[in-house]
Amino acid sequence: MTSIERDTPAPRPVTRIRIEPRVNRKPLWTFAMYLAATLFGLLLSALLVWTSGADVIKAFSALLNGAFGSQKAIIASLAKATPLILTGLATVVAFRAQVWSIGQEGQVYAGAMGAYTGYLLFAGLPPALFVSAIVLCGIIGGAVLGALAAILKDRFDVNEIISTVMMNYLIVFLLSWLIGGGPWTEVSTSVVYQQTGPIGEAAHLPALMGSGKLHLGFAFALVSALVCYVVLEKTPLGYEIRALGYNPVALAYRGTNIGRTIILVMILSGAVAGLAGVSEIFGTAHRLRSDTLFNLGYTGIIIGMIGGLRPLGTVAAGIVFGGLSSGALYMKLLAQVPASLVPAMEGILMLTFLCAGVAARYKIVRVKTDG
Amino acid sequence: MTTILRTVNLTKRFPGVIANEDVNFDLQKGEIHCLFGENGAGKSTLSSCLFGFYQPEGGSLELNGEPVKFRSPRDAIHAGIGMVHQHFVLVPDFTVLENIVVGTHEHGWQLGLDEARKRVASLCREYEIDLEPDALVRDLAVGQQQWVEILKALYLGAKVLILDEPSAVLTPEESIRLFRIISHMKELGLSIILISHKMVEVMQSDRVTVLRKGKVVGTVCPDEVTPKELTRMMVGRDIELRVVRDRSNKEAAKEPVLVVGGLSYRDTRDNLMLDQVTLTIGRGEILGLAGVSGNGQKELFEVLSGIIVPGSGNVTLAGERIEGLPSRHYMDRGVGLVPDDRFREGLIPEFGIQENMILGWQRHDDYTQGPFLNHKQIGTIAEGLIDEFRIKAPSADTPVNHLSGGNAQKVILAREFVHSNKLLLANQPTRGLDLGVIEYVYKQIIAKRDEGYAVLLASEELEDLLNLSDRIAVISGGRITGVVDPENTSIEEIGLLMAGERKEAAE
Repeated sequence: MTSIERDTPAPRPVTRIRIEPRVNRKPLWTFAMYLAATLFGLLLSALLVWTSGADVIKAFSALLNGAFGSQKAIIASLAKATPLILTGLATVVAFRAQVWSIGQEGQVYAGAMGAYTGYLLFAGLPPALFVSAIVLCGIIGGAVLGALAAILKDRFDVNEIISTVMMNYLIVFLLSWLIGGGPWTEVSTSVVYQQTGPIGEAAHLPALMGSGKLHLGFAFALVSALVCYVVLEKTPLGYEIRALGYNPVALAYRGTNIGRTIILVMILSGAVAGLAGVSEIFGTAHRLRSDTLFNLGYTGIIIGMIGGLRPLGTVAAGIVFGGLSSGALYMKLLAQVPASLVPAMEGILMLTFLCAGVAARYKIVRVKTDG
Repeated sequence: MTTILRTVNLTKRFPGVIANEDVNFDLQKGEIHCLFGENGAGKSTLSSCLFGFYQPEGGSLELNGEPVKFRSPRDAIHAGIGMVHQHFVLVPDFTVLENIVVGTHEHGWQLGLDEARKRVASLCREYEIDLEPDALVRDLAVGQQQWVEILKALYLGAKVLILDEPSAVLTPEESIRLFRIISHMKELGLSIILISHKMVEVMQSDRVTVLRKGKVVGTVCPDEVTPKELTRMMVGRDIELRVVRDRSNKEAAKEPVLVVGGLSYRDTRDNLMLDQVTLTIGRGEILGLAGVSGNGQKELFEVLSGIIVPGSGNVTLAGERIEGLPSRHYMDRGVGLVPDDRFREGLIPEFGIQENMILGWQRHDDYTQGPFLNHKQIGTIAEGLIDEFRIKAPSADTPVNHLSGGNAQKVILAREFVHSNKLLLANQPTRGLDLGVIEYVYKQIIAKRDEGYAVLLASEELEDLLNLSDRIAVISGGRITGVVDPENTSIEEIGLLMAGERKEAAE
């Protein structure tokens, strides 16, 4: 207790409310909190839909059907979820270390650009090798951009929030030049569309389950989640990442090179985000354009937070949000709800989930004192 | 004598804890009354109730025989009670006078400095306090800042003064001057409540109320009891630090483990924190480091454990020059570190005990299996250490921020003992711990010395250093002002060295 608190004249005490951490956290309680958050978030969303003048029941059933109502819908949702899971995981890795990287957006672009460079460089390799090389180049692209921010932080004490945000702009404008008049611009048309030409089929990420929409990228997302989980919970590096997040001073006092750990964190985070870029361009869009990648990184921050900064929670959050964005189209078509309500609903759900996270960790106690 | 302040069956509870139970305490006019007890015994709670910061749940408070209720410190101040906190509440860039006047609102919106100056001057004369009213507080020594706090209370008309561990931040010399002022105040009719756990100060008071686990054990006059009896009242059993006193093997101590020569270090603001420090610690020897905190101890420990790089000088460990190498190398060469801020520098508070047991050694072969942490092995080793060091915790997974200070310190000791073999650096290892745990920590350190470790031990408790050390180095302003033999050196002599007087022909 600081002396400043002691000197503050206490108001006439009746009942005071204090927030205390829960010592023994029960999984059931945590689950109940998240369930309540989901229901409350949906209720608020329903209100929003209602104010837009649409039929709430109809809108929600359209949303649900569009998201998970059929095999086709599920596949479309999982395809939408793929990059979100990956950028979410990139957030998890960085934020668990309390490295506040906002660079996922730029790293997605860097991943896509790295992969496209690989596509140009290694054309002619046997298909399996070709795709592997492209994926690897994408991973490297994201990792390099991540490492850059970490090196700036380590060497020159540059705040990572600022450096990553600035690099997001740099990389987006670099791509804009490359595909809007620069060397990667589609040459066959007379009008510049801000895109490359179509990517040859040999370089496409192979489809999963026969359908065209779900591709190898989804498998990458699941494997990445598993890798992130194992690294964070089961390895010395993960120990260092978590310790860095909780108390970097003690970690440094006991012989761990913090600068090196931060660089590793950002390489890992950037690599995973880069994979999201590869997956979108070579699995879904099949040509490199800016608007396909737009906002994936920033949404990933939300997904990672909703997932409780846990890899498996992030997969779940990614799938829910993939479903939302894929169902939004149906909702718009079938219930005449503006599609722009979907990001608003995502925002509402994020708020209620963050509240649930706090409710799961803390409790409110009433302290009674008489005057 | 008349009773000025009295509590009758005062009880104060916090969720799950009874901090004060049926406390009966009385303060006579013109006495120094010491509240004596271990950390968590309820001294601070009781004084906070007297000062109106807490409101007791049961019992009553009487001032001059009339029942009173203080709803806030403001009420207590109006009733003539003043408190000097352990950590000062002063504005460094204000003058002494401004600090005294701030917040009094005597003249409404005006400061009324001229009138205040006269009153402060007369208070200084009356209580023989030597302070320049226009000096900036940040230019004052810590001891003088404390006088400002006392003046502040007197200015507000305090007749009862509560001093919370007043000597914790002072040199022995400054403590003596403080006690001179206190006894003068007493002669002038003020009543003083002194919160302390230092025997020297307890023995200087008129009466002592001993608290243990929130209850009053008894109120005694210091002339009628021995320090030993008082300690027993406080702890509930006998504690004898001197039992473990048994000097090291002088022959072994001649074999140097750590040799430090001409070490200097400037911090990022270019303050010279270490100035030509030269030290040697031998095998099986405890070198005590005495000094007022903030005189370079922390920097010395950080240099000697590889956390910061010295500007010049050399560090030789077992014949090998290692200055400037990263902390990893020091750890690998058998250097253990018990840092003074245990939760910030020694532990990951959110991690469990077992994870903290391997902090710094998470990549060691003993704790890994291939690329993975061997959680099973770590758990087994941690449970062994929890038993060995008698750490009280529900399980090996319990986060250390749920542990008491003593148990958290034992986690650090266990980890550093297991992973070192040559040199133990212990900076304030017993700060804030209960006497029982202090005794345990010292016994462990002595056991390591007997195993042949070289030990550097810094403590603010000079008595403890005199008891435990084979030699004592005194640091002041980043310089070693002397290295003395505890067998024939008095606390006063060490006090002079702590105040910066250099011992001629040291060593």
